[in-house]
Amino acid sequence: MDHFPGTWGRPRNDVYGAYDPSYLQSTGPKTHTTSPAVTGTSVVGVKFNGGVALATDNLASYGSLARFTDTKRLRVFGDQAVVGFGGDVSDMQYLDRLLESIDIRENYSSHGNMLNAKNLHTYLAKVFYKRRSEFNPLWNHVLVAGFDGEGKPFLSSADLLGTTFSAPHLATGFGAHLAVPILRRLFPEEKPIEEISREEAVDALKQCLKVLFYRDARSLDKYSIAVITKEGIDLKEDEQLEGQSWAFAERIKGYGAQTV
Amino acid sequence: MTSLMDHQARETVGYSFSESTAGVKQHGFYPYTDNGGSTLGITGSDFAILAGDTRSTSGYNINSRMVPKVFKIGGDDETGEGANIILSVVGFAADGTALKERLDTVVKMYKYQHGKPMSVSACAQRLSTILYQKRFFPYYVHAILAGLDEEGKGALYSYDPVGSYEREQCRAAGAAASLIMPFLDNQVNFKNQYIPGSGEGHALVAKKPEPLPLETVKGLVRDAFTSAVERHIEVGDNLQMVIITKAGIEEVYHPLKKD
Amino acid sequence: MTSIGTGYDLSNSVFSPDGRNFQVEYAVKAVENGGTAIGIRCKDGVVLAVEKIISSKLLKPGANKRIATVDRHVGIVSAGLVPDGRHFVSRARDEASSWRATYKGPIPTSALANRLGGYVQAYTLYSSVRPFGVTSIVGGWDSEAELAVDGQVGSGPKSGAGGKVDGAKAGGPGLYMIEPSGLYWGYYGAATGKGRQAAKAELEKLDLSSGKLSLLEGVKEAARIIYVAHEDSKDKEFELEMSWISSLDGPTKGRHEEVPKDILEEAEKAARRALDEDEEEEDKGAGEQMEE
Repeated sequence: MDHFPGTWGRPRNDVYGAYDPSYLQSTGPKTHTTSPAVTGTSVVGVKFNGGVALATDNLASYGSLARFTDTKRLRVFGDQAVVGFGGDVSDMQYLDRLLESIDIRENYSSHGNMLNAKNLHTYLAKVFYKRRSEFNPLWNHVLVAGFDGEGKPFLSSADLLGTTFSAPHLATGFGAHLAVPILRRLFPEEKPIEEISREEAVDALKQCLKVLFYRDARSLDKYSIAVITKEGIDLKEDEQLEGQSWAFAERIKGYGAQTV
Repeated sequence: MTSLMDHQARETVGYSFSESTAGVKQHGFYPYTDNGGSTLGITGSDFAILAGDTRSTSGYNINSRMVPKVFKIGGDDETGEGANIILSVVGFAADGTALKERLDTVVKMYKYQHGKPMSVSACAQRLSTILYQKRFFPYYVHAILAGLDEEGKGALYSYDPVGSYEREQCRAAGAAASLIMPFLDNQVNFKNQYIPGSGEGHALVAKKPEPLPLETVKGLVRDAFTSAVERHIEVGDNLQMVIITKAGIEEVYHPLKKD
Repeated sequence: MTSIGTGYDLSNSVFSPDGRNFQVEYAVKAVENGGTAIGIRCKDGVVLAVEKIISSKLLKPGANKRIATVDRHVGIVSAGLVPDGRHFVSRARDEASSWRATYKGPIPTSALANRLGGYVQAYTLYSSVRPFGVTSIVGGWDSEAELAVDGQVGSGPKSGAGGKVDGAKAGGPGLYMIEPSGLYWGYYGAATGKGRQAAKAELEKLDLSSGKLSLLEGVKEAARIIYVAHEDSKDKEFELEMSWISSLDGPTKGRHEEVPKDILEEAEKAARRALDEDEEEEDKGAGEQMEE
């Protein structure tokens, strides 16, 4: 008779070896997000004369599965700032709610929300940096667009490590590889942003999304675009890249040159 | 069968799955990245220079062509006006920013509490402490601190990521440090330079290093960076030079190659 | 107050033999000395107004607000001890934000009133605390439209499970008044503070229960009622502070906001005019009596 109830009903030690009690442990090292789950891909942004334009597609992927096709990844903050999110969608939702709670609190004072896009970017970067330092990252790469304290167009990036940088045109994820070169060619550094019109900026973003649609496997031809000017935010969330089709792929054989 | 035997020999257990779930779970998250770039500091008898390129990279991508790496520490406002200490950081930019902001706050608090600006030597020791406090989760940066010492001479302190530091005449840090530092050894400290005709072999007399004039040093800094840009892909775009003299702090930018 | 001096009024939470909590009744006294505050529940919104007695000429006009916003869609105005009112608002904001943290949406006005009622009531139960020296009016607008959940990124299924019932009615105006005892009721029109009797009499004339009064009319009436209620303390100067919450298609789009300056001034002008007309009539009446 086995007098140890802990071993009753368990595989015999002499046959299967000693039982590894760590299987039973309900406690253990605290684990955090070590990889994102449902993700959004690139965010693209350009500054132009009097404002900033920002665009994302509407796809949320689950690995290689195109899981949600109506995902709004441009989130509005107050009436002068937009955050474009790439990366984990649930972390984006967390941050969106965090920003909403800040906006509510800001509006308790009668002079309204005083945080501009620059303040918002600083704040988000610090949230990211704090969380990465706790080994519990928020798995996002964001672009923040709006205006700075002097009323000049503002566009800046922050990522899950807390890294920040700013430039006249930016893109996250695949866009950093594919969209940035397009934007740098269209709007070279010598060209001041005052010489870039709103239309040029919007067209450039659409061009980028088109390239991304064909070359980024986790992208979509449905997209959102926000144009932030002093007049306010013009946000369109159910846009479609016109005339795009992957149908030609049916005819591709081998590496492309092959016809039969 | 052989494989099964091997298995048993190793594990002494009969079942086929051997992977144990026991032990610490491996994290897929790495909290650091390298944002490239290079910095450099040189001192003279009455000045100190800190310089850095303004490129920010991740991998082969250029994040931005305009991310300064040299900061005024303990200034009175956002522009850094009123500061008497400068700091350059290169490595992981987010840590660099965090470190800069901490030191800036510390130096400001010192001024509020003691009614006088912090000396560069005190600031240097404090920076070392800040870095060492995070010995087991370091700020992944190479910092260089500069200012004028109590005698008005240029003071320069360089650090490793965990706070080990020393005062030096010159130091290069970051991606192109290995390219710039030997150049500095030769041009600032006159390493491998001998007085012509002073002797043969071991009898050769080494050229004595002495503080260089400001204009010479500015030239060295620009030469160092234009050369580094040619040979290192993470260095480029613009050169930021911050010069500290008894007249105050001067900041200038020069274009570098953008390829 | 025959029971004063019997000792039953010295500690909070202690009943007197005839079932009263004197500390609560004293708190009500504090309320009765406060500037009049009212709320009107209109068909397309809610108006809140308060008579702010100017206690010093050194106070900046328009500053020191007495009506506070909670979340985005609720306003609170109190009569009584101002600091107690502030603490009450702070609690309301915490409740609203914790509701959001749990349910990812705005707290319904009724739920907020309920939680605040519970909170105030708790301050009648312990000898270590005193009851709130305020009666607060909570006005809000619960969205009549289908609201996105906070942080929502998609639109969900268009049909089948999760499909929505057409024409289902939701939301609307809410107005509640919470007393120091923790007692709260929902009201068509609520008044508290020094001039509450006069204000209540005026509110009753408005036929609010028929649900016909528009928000803009409500603003005018609210201003007038505060002016009427001020008649009894005419020696003191006052400032009128007013806020409103409209329906989503109204001027504030379901948010609680200050009534804009131009509308406020117009309402005040109309209020003064109405008061002058009343006075003239009274004077006439009084003159006739004199002649007799």
